[in-house]
Amino acid sequence: MASRTLLVYAGLFLLGLVLLAVGALTQPYRVGATPGSEVGESLVAIGLTFVILGIGYFLAWANPTQ
Amino acid sequence: MGHAAAEQRSPPSERLYNIASRPRAGEEMEESDSGVKYLIGRSAGKSAVIAAFVATHVATMAGLWFGGVRLPQFNFNMLNGWLVLGLTADPVQTFVIGGILHYTSGIIWGVVFALIVHPALGRFIKPLAALTPTNNYIKGVLWGLVLWVISSAFWMPLLIDPLFGGGVVGPFLTKFGLNGVQALFANLLWHSIYGVNLGLLFSPTPAATRGSWRAASGVGVR
Repeated sequence: MASRTLLVYAGLFLLGLVLLAVGALTQPYRVGATPGSEVGESLVAIGLTFVILGIGYFLAWANPTQ
Repeated sequence: MGHAAAEQRSPPSERLYNIASRPRAGEEMEESDSGVKYLIGRSAGKSAVIAAFVATHVATMAGLWFGGVRLPQFNFNMLNGWLVLGLTADPVQTFVIGGILHYTSGIIWGVVFALIVHPALGRFIKPLAALTPTNNYIKGVLWGLVLWVISSAFWMPLLIDPLFGGGVVGPFLTKFGLNGVQALFANLLWHSIYGVNLGLLFSPTPAATRGSWRAASGVGVR
């Protein structure tokens, strides 16, 4: 059960990494204050959100008070 | 007498820790009455204030660094400062006054979460009823999502947009100056960072849980 839970957290984290990579590598990025691609920057933001949620789940799961 | 003798035998660092972590008058009763312990502090209010301050600070700093990862910068200190001082005030003054307002708001939203929303979520969503670190974390993330909706649907379009004469902020933050919908998702990231930190730090667990933080982390255990 615990290993399955960990896999879910890892999946969230990996999904975030994939979205982040797709957004960062395939879309034009901002130069200075001028925005780049809306899709690319949105993917970067959503990807980072998933990465942080995955890390947070792992930290909550690993909390020694549990 | 036996307890005092045992305390004398422990190393000075452990004795200092025990003295510092000993409940003060009135606090022991509070803990035993509620049957709940917190990661920070000994009461829900104190834990909420500290957790919300840390969460606000981490998210605020992350928002200032968004430009480094190709995202629109979110400077909530300046946005709050512009709300009260206008656009022509001294930038340093605007940043400081806005920062005080912003941090106060962040702490108040955190206290509302800890004292009202957190217990209510446990009551209405049965799987979240148990006081475990994972459930506490999920509640924090949900609260971050709620604040994201409030910020994007109301705060930005209704308060920030008129400051710039209108047409600068789109409905539900689908436009933010030169930025399009990426502002909405950058705002989601900002509020997720807040919710993640709040949920991890404001973490009430049953006081009778076996294996305290001290024991599991090795503090005071040889």
